[in-house]
Amino acid sequence: MRRAACALVVSLGIVGGATAQERLIVDGLIDLRAVHTDATPSFLYGGLGRVRFDDDHEGLRLGRASLGIRLRLTETLGATVVADTYDDGDTNAVGVSEAFVQWRPFPSNSIRWQAKAGAFHLPVSLEHRLLGWMSPYTLSASALNTWIGEEFRVIGTEVEARWLGAASGYRGDISLVGGVYGWNEGAGAVIAERGWALTDRPSVAFGELGRQRAGLYYQFDRQPGWYGGVTWRHHERFELRALHYDNRADPAASNLAGYSGWNTRFNTLGARWEPVDPVTLTAQYIEGRTAIGPNGAPDQFLMDLSAWYALASVEVGRTRVSARYDSFATQQTQGFYGPPADDAGHALTVAVIRRLAERWEIAAEWLRVDSRFPPRYWAGLPAAATDTQVQLALRYRFRFEAG
Amino acid sequence: MRRHNPLASGRNFALRGISGHRFRALGPCAYSSSMPVPPVDPSGARRAPASRLAAGAACVGLAALLAISPAAASGTDVAVTVRTAKGAPVADVVLVLEAAGAVTPHHREKQTARMEQRERHFKPELLVVETGTLVDFPNNDSVSHQVYSFSTPRRFQLSLYRGSAHPPIAFNTAGLVVLGCNIHDEMVGYILVTDSPYHGQTDAHGTARIAGVPAGAYLIRAWAPRIADPPASLERRIEVGDGAEVAVNFSLSKPLLAAPTPRPGRTEWDAY
Repeated sequence: MRRAACALVVSLGIVGGATAQERLIVDGLIDLRAVHTDATPSFLYGGLGRVRFDDDHEGLRLGRASLGIRLRLTETLGATVVADTYDDGDTNAVGVSEAFVQWRPFPSNSIRWQAKAGAFHLPVSLEHRLLGWMSPYTLSASALNTWIGEEFRVIGTEVEARWLGAASGYRGDISLVGGVYGWNEGAGAVIAERGWALTDRPSVAFGELGRQRAGLYYQFDRQPGWYGGVTWRHHERFELRALHYDNRADPAASNLAGYSGWNTRFNTLGARWEPVDPVTLTAQYIEGRTAIGPNGAPDQFLMDLSAWYALASVEVGRTRVSARYDSFATQQTQGFYGPPADDAGHALTVAVIRRLAERWEIAAEWLRVDSRFPPRYWAGLPAAATDTQVQLALRYRFRFEAG
Repeated sequence: MRRHNPLASGRNFALRGISGHRFRALGPCAYSSSMPVPPVDPSGARRAPASRLAAGAACVGLAALLAISPAAASGTDVAVTVRTAKGAPVADVVLVLEAAGAVTPHHREKQTARMEQRERHFKPELLVVETGTLVDFPNNDSVSHQVYSFSTPRRFQLSLYRGSAHPPIAFNTAGLVVLGCNIHDEMVGYILVTDSPYHGQTDAHGTARIAGVPAGAYLIRAWAPRIADPPASLERRIEVGDGAEVAVNFSLSKPLLAAPTPRPGRTEWDAY
């Protein structure tokens, strides 16, 4: 029966493939995990652990079940909705990770425009290159991009202008991107409370994340945030990306429901280099700060944050082997009510991902995070902790297309 | 950052920029209508199993112009080699002979050519066709493409498609047409449209033979998107007589730019 269902999906895919223009593409993913970990209680389950699973939440787990729906409205206008479930007690059983429309007209000269509106990921990660904001390299994202996925979602609009170098004989391009958004006043709360983490559990638009039960995306100060960035791609082999982000939240603002404004801004710089075909080298750096409480007040909570990672990946045939080193820190500089929210740590990730067939994939990942975070005292734990997590993943993808 | 465009150099040649100016045989070419262009077999002729870039490209009758020594042996062959400074052969370099004398416009068979999309690359990366050629753009990827060009000699847009959804496109104006895909910006291809019937493209050995060239004075010009040498060093004046073949050797002084990277490992799940 199941085989028949798969065959149906496959054949629908093929039928869809024969059409000249598919109006609807639905991409599905089921990701099952076998997890073994001795990690301290995960943030997702109310703790301060740095990996996704913990001692009480291991064994067979749902990594992710996802449905990505892309609808082509016109030749150059499309709509995308990505719905996800992680089976970890989020507000809704299924959450919306992204929902946006995108306009991408044919270029009439060497500048190509693109505009997006809705809810979508910040253009920061150099890891998440696959459909559905997935990484081809590892199961768990770097600390840097875990944070980007957890606390940030552009809920607004983004415009990109890309200079296409090919028309001038240059094999590469340069793009400028800018975005204006709201509902990001909560960005900063998670990292202030927990420090950095390495997971593949981004937030969803109307969901929550572990101890942040009050919700993540809210707006009440009427000040839109913005970001601006530049990306340079050179000969398909090198990419450099820089972005400045400022949510312009009023740190003095709060409302009766207990929401506060987290004034968060950061700069990030990343590079990807593919020196020879099977090898990818990627590194990203971020530094920023977050604040809560009236500006100038001596008890305003102020925290600096920084993180970087370097990832090396080799793809041989159907197998990709990747290793990543992460380093991260936060430093509370003001507004102490107890142990300082000073996070300091590093992590090592080794992952092997192998495609079994077009739709099946297996992956194995070993991840170890060493961190020192004084607020663990609140939970009666020593400041220093080592979280080790081993995962095996079996992934099945399917696609349905309709003309 | 902007690389100097080799096509823009021609002193008295109406050749201009990559962004769509004219690439035109310098005027009248000493071509006689009694000398037919070797017929091109649109179905079959493949370039010698050659370069990485051309591998698998079921391309272009044009290559037949190179590969076939016309049995009707009228005119002289021009044998070209292109090598790097270290002596390595350079494949897929386009060579065009432009005559300096008067020319009678010649009648050509309608030619066809293919610019395939596979593994999110145009194959071949560079195609040389004569004006009037119909070029097909089959997409053999599992993902859709939106092929376009905004180059002056031929502006066009192919709405989202896979397979052979669109009829071939006629390239009636000489010049360089840069191709892109509106979904995959890393895809870049080139179609060099020329009025000259004397053109060729180097094989894996870095050699090309342009057959049956009538006697006269010509300018031979080499071009490929990977060549970084200044354009002036890639053109030669040659005299073609009635006798022995003419040998032309181009030795590049600068290293080639990186080649595009077909990624067979890519799947339809790759976002870009």
